[in-house]
Amino acid sequence: MPGRWGLVKCRREIIDWVGSNIIPYERELRAWLRRRALPAQDIDDIIHDSYLCIAQLSDVGHIRNGRAYLFTTARSVMLRRVRRDRIVRIESLIEIDAMTLQDADPGPERHASARQELARIQRLVASLPDRCREIFYLRRMEGMPQRQIAKRLGVTEHIVEAQAARGLKLIMKAIAQEEGGAEHHQGMRYDEHPAKCRED
Amino acid sequence: MTNIRPNAVRIDDHAARWATKLDLGSLSEAEEAALDHWLAQDPLHQGALLRAQAILVYLDRGRALAAGSAPVPQETGEEEPPAAPGRRRFLRFSGGAAAIAAGLGAIFVLPRLGREEIMTGIGEVRRVPLADGSVAVINTASRLAITLQPKQRAINLEEGEAWFQVAHDKSRPFIVAAGAVRVRAVGTAFAVRLRPEGADVLVTEGVVETWIEGRAGSRRLLRAGGRSYVAPGTDQAAIAVESSPQDIERALAWRGGEIVLDGQTVDYAVAELNRYNRQHIVIGDPSIGREPLIGYFRTSDPMKFAAAVAEMTGSHVVEKGDEILVSR
Repeated sequence: MPGRWGLVKCRREIIDWVGSNIIPYERELRAWLRRRALPAQDIDDIIHDSYLCIAQLSDVGHIRNGRAYLFTTARSVMLRRVRRDRIVRIESLIEIDAMTLQDADPGPERHASARQELARIQRLVASLPDRCREIFYLRRMEGMPQRQIAKRLGVTEHIVEAQAARGLKLIMKAIAQEEGGAEHHQGMRYDEHPAKCRED
Repeated sequence: MTNIRPNAVRIDDHAARWATKLDLGSLSEAEEAALDHWLAQDPLHQGALLRAQAILVYLDRGRALAAGSAPVPQETGEEEPPAAPGRRRFLRFSGGAAAIAAGLGAIFVLPRLGREEIMTGIGEVRRVPLADGSVAVINTASRLAITLQPKQRAINLEEGEAWFQVAHDKSRPFIVAAGAVRVRAVGTAFAVRLRPEGADVLVTEGVVETWIEGRAGSRRLLRAGGRSYVAPGTDQAAIAVESSPQDIERALAWRGGEIVLDGQTVDYAVAELNRYNRQHIVIGDPSIGREPLIGYFRTSDPMKFAAAVAEMTGSHVVEKGDEILVSR
């Protein structure tokens, strides 16, 4: 069974954990990667690759610090890509190593406050086109089934699905393009063992 | 390398579409095969899909954060008193889509305190983020009442089954009541299913404590991978505790809209599937019911299950209104 769940869709626990413990820090990781002057395509690949490593975990219960885990995983992804393709600039590599030497604790003060995080989520949802936002709201906040949303809004279920997908797509794009994050990190502590990734 | 791979925006478009379909539970069989195909095309697709699904979870946090951090508008008097019992969630927003479009921000920060009742219909599996940051995934035909108090988080499972991922909060234990059975957790994940004589408790993470209300000596600790059937009607020795992580994963496959069978009988599978559909499967011959099965089935497609059983046992299927009869 693990094989099937692993490939077809991640287990619910992992998805929930990633939603709460990793997604909030993706922006920071992207900002860090951008400062390394990596091409956008490489950044996207590194991000997807890092999520892939996490998707392949059988359990996340042992991870205490999602942010440190994400950065550590991204670092091992980068190193692997460097070894394989020699595409990452040499400066980036030096940076990666320098990062491991520093011992700045990501610490609780780096966590965005609940209020900031809420404001961010509101901003993301508020930026959606009207119809998208309504559907997104009914589904996400009210947990309403597709059929009921269609009935409520007087549209077909097909439209509900198409608009929900469109909304998610726009939000995924917005998250990838957001600037900043908790900008002032001098480095991170690698106290988490990185996800063991596929070898290729 | 950048030119070989289809551009990441395209990957994300696909990932958004699949994550939405998985969220809505609207995958047809053909689409499921297409999803498998897409995932097999490039390992990065699996990473992109996890990201898309997790972003949906992240957005769900908006509701939990709103309740946890927004100031409570106590003096306005517009909000109903926090403990209006029996009030259904969707009634609060009967203002409808227009109000939603007009004031999403305002609605978004309404505090969700006090008692909240959540129901699911037959065949519906609903994922509900709670105001304390916990998540409940509620199975078919279930009803539960949630009361978040400063000293404890009380969940009353009035009917059916739910799985909880509990946000860690030492000062506020999370207690699920199912009939006379109690399950207490601090930060952990577990499922409770109410049965006529007791409750099943399955722990997927951490440790929980179970007991029977008013019965001394009924306390048991249950760890991740453990399951227990607690039946107040029986004597204490009957509080069975066993450890079987595989079995738990199997038993909780309903969260993904599936049931997983690993040697269970046709009768067992039918009883499970019938929980999810108005159209019930009836086995016309006891010898068919005793056959063991291995496989995955969608909870929403009883006809397909019946056809598979018929094929395996050399029986036939007759569909009559709300009944699917399998007999020799």
